[in-house]
Amino acid sequence: MTGKEILLRALKCEATPRVPWVPFVGVHGGALIGVDAKDYLESTEHIVSGLKASAKRYRPDGLPVVFDLQLEAEVLGCQLAWAQETPPAVISHPLDAGYAIKALPTLSVEKGRLPLALQAIRETKKELGEEIALYGLLTGPLTLALHLRGDDVLLDMFDEEEGVVALLDYCAEIANQMVDAYLDAGIDVIAVVDPMISQIGPSHFTDWVAPRLDEVFSYVRKKGALSSLFVCGNATRNLAAMCATQCDNISVDENVDLAELAKVARAAGKSFGGNLQLTKILLLGDEADAKREVVRCLDQAGDGGGFILAPGCDLPYAVKPENLEAVAALVHDPYLIEVARNLPPKDSTDTFDDIPIPDYAAENQVLVDIVTLDSAGCAPCAYMLKAAQKAADEYGGTIDVREHKITTRDGLAYMAKLGVTAIPSICVDGRERFASIIPQRKELVACYQTAAAAK
Amino acid sequence: MNDPLQQLIEAIKVGNRKIAATATQTALDSGSSGKEVLGALSEGMDDVGKRFKANEIFVPEVLVAARAMKKSMELLEPILVKSGIKPEHTLVIGTVKGDLHDIGKNLVAMMMKGANFNVIDLGTNLPAQTILDAAIEHKADLVGLSALLTTTMPAMRETVALMNKEPHPFKIIVGGAPITQDFADDIGADGFAIDAASTVELARTLVTSS
Ligand code: B12
Repeated sequence: MTGKEILLRALKCEATPRVPWVPFVGVHGGALIGVDAKDYLESTEHIVSGLKASAKRYRPDGLPVVFDLQLEAEVLGCQLAWAQETPPAVISHPLDAGYAIKALPTLSVEKGRLPLALQAIRETKKELGEEIALYGLLTGPLTLALHLRGDDVLLDMFDEEEGVVALLDYCAEIANQMVDAYLDAGIDVIAVVDPMISQIGPSHFTDWVAPRLDEVFSYVRKKGALSSLFVCGNATRNLAAMCATQCDNISVDENVDLAELAKVARAAGKSFGGNLQLTKILLLGDEADAKREVVRCLDQAGDGGGFILAPGCDLPYAVKPENLEAVAALVHDPYLIEVARNLPPKDSTDTFDDIPIPDYAAENQVLVDIVTLDSAGCAPCAYMLKAAQKAADEYGGTIDVREHKITTRDGLAYMAKLGVTAIPSICVDGRERFASIIPQRKELVACYQTAAAAK
Repeated sequence: MNDPLQQLIEAIKVGNRKIAATATQTALDSGSSGKEVLGALSEGMDDVGKRFKANEIFVPEVLVAARAMKKSMELLEPILVKSGIKPEHTLVIGTVKGDLHDIGKNLVAMMMKGANFNVIDLGTNLPAQTILDAAIEHKADLVGLSALLTTTMPAMRETVALMNKEPHPFKIIVGGAPITQDFADDIGADGFAIDAASTVELARTLVTSS
């Protein structure tokens, strides 16, 4: 089964052999190929190269092609301010003075950056589309309304109802035009991204936003594609109402309690995802942090399927690629998830004084410590342990090969005190010699001999 | 509920600008002092701030309350000016360079107005020097800086550094979703607040302690 198939099945809440993973690469694609956000988002070629680089490094099951919530707004007359490390921002609202919606420019696939975005989709489809599902991101009706009218749209909900109704209806129509364009170009999943939903309460959401979202979701469904409701920001209070819309999937930011979402979404028959912490973990943390974070998400999502591992919103430009690679490694290897699950907590100050390790130099025999997850349950651990024992037999001198399982305190103590960098690992006389890779018998025997000679 | 001041408080809480205006006028016509009307406004906004903090109401409800407050202030201001009542303290506030998020900053500005501060809102995407110049020009007691992007946190740091290069009479407060107390301490700001209601408390302590 390809990653794409796994993802599409998970989006439909069908059983999958593993959890699918969708890194929301936006301007970060630019960082991967060494161009700034503006150059990136204005060039088909850069976008396609950025996505190819992401596909290679992050081994994703799905990718968004263009993550820029200003694409439609730009065509509809909003001015943009560009920055080096973020997508552009809207700085003028054409409906500032009132709801002159008819006077707005018409949307067409020939205008603004839409041609280059659609071309990027077609090319990415050709390059990566067999293995990876492509997400087409469009601006949700409330956020687009805010772009066009400014904050006033929120105030107008109280006493300019007609204007708001007309504007939100219009924004839903624009969204459906984007759906047509995206699906024609080869998009697999339509993501309606509406961060402003995080700023309103459930009654405003249900009265104003949900009906327009449903117009889009039902249209996507009619066209035979899948849809996701994607909200950056803290949408906690709106989760139930969001799950009552007709989308297939809900994607949330880091401030949402994933365990809670899992309950609400599954009860509503929706798949769900997102939630990996962008700033604290993926941008500023290290690989171990990223691994723990994956375990947290998987555990909170629980069993029951329909979960898609993904960041809370678009990845920061300068996010550390090695952190995303660490996420990818876990996704593709259930064994590494178990190892990560047993990592000591980040702020652990445990020095394991209760578990002394030998004074290796003072020992007469060679001591071989195999630090494993648990050779009984983990195939690579079992192979490594066996390899170490077989080599010991062949070496024939006095030698002791011992297993330390990191599922126990003893194992954690050895891991910490010997500075083990990967699991499983072979340490000879207190020094890590082979981390994660099982050496050839000859090599290992030679290593034992050198250790014995050094005594 | 015939007491116009009570009516005004309720109008602010639900954000009804029409009732806010008529209640203000009635209160002033029937002999309430400017100070009393101002007190009612603050009480209404205080309640709004608390419910926002408690997640009972959301951004639109706060914006609409602030708009009702503004209507009332339009009627009240000439009276206050005549009777010589001026806000005692001035806050100059804005979003730092490179950042265009302003919803949170606007809420802070509104709540501070509601708490009877003179608020000069400089807008968004502000170079450090512009903020410093405005602080001096308006004789600010407090300067508030907002940043919502991790990529603009350095601009906040630079702005504070520029201000702290020379001795100055104002206190600097900072906020925005990615900002923490640690960061505020680290860059040399005088205070940090997590939300608009806490900003009012923080501002009150800072101006009374100086
Ligand atoms: C609404 C929103 C937008 C709107 C902004 C509309 C506007 N006029 O402000 C739009 C859609 C235009 C937008 C654009 C962008 N956004 Co935006 N946006 C948000 C969102 C969803 C909510 C922000 C908000 O208004 N919150 C509501 C207010 C009430 O809360 P607040 O701002 O935190 O303010 C409170 C406190 O912090 C405090 N406070 C605030 N200021 C101050 C100042 C002082 C002095 C004090 C004491 C206290 C204080 O009091 C406030 C009231 O209680 C956040 C998500 C989030 N988790 O915050 C993303 C978010 C901030 N945006 C983000 C990004 C990346 C962007 C864009 C770059 C790209 C994009 N995604 O399109 C552009 C950038 C534009 C720019 N250059 O500034 C990221 C930032 C990521 C990061 N770590 O840097 C976030 C976190 C989303 C995410 N998870 O990725 N955004």
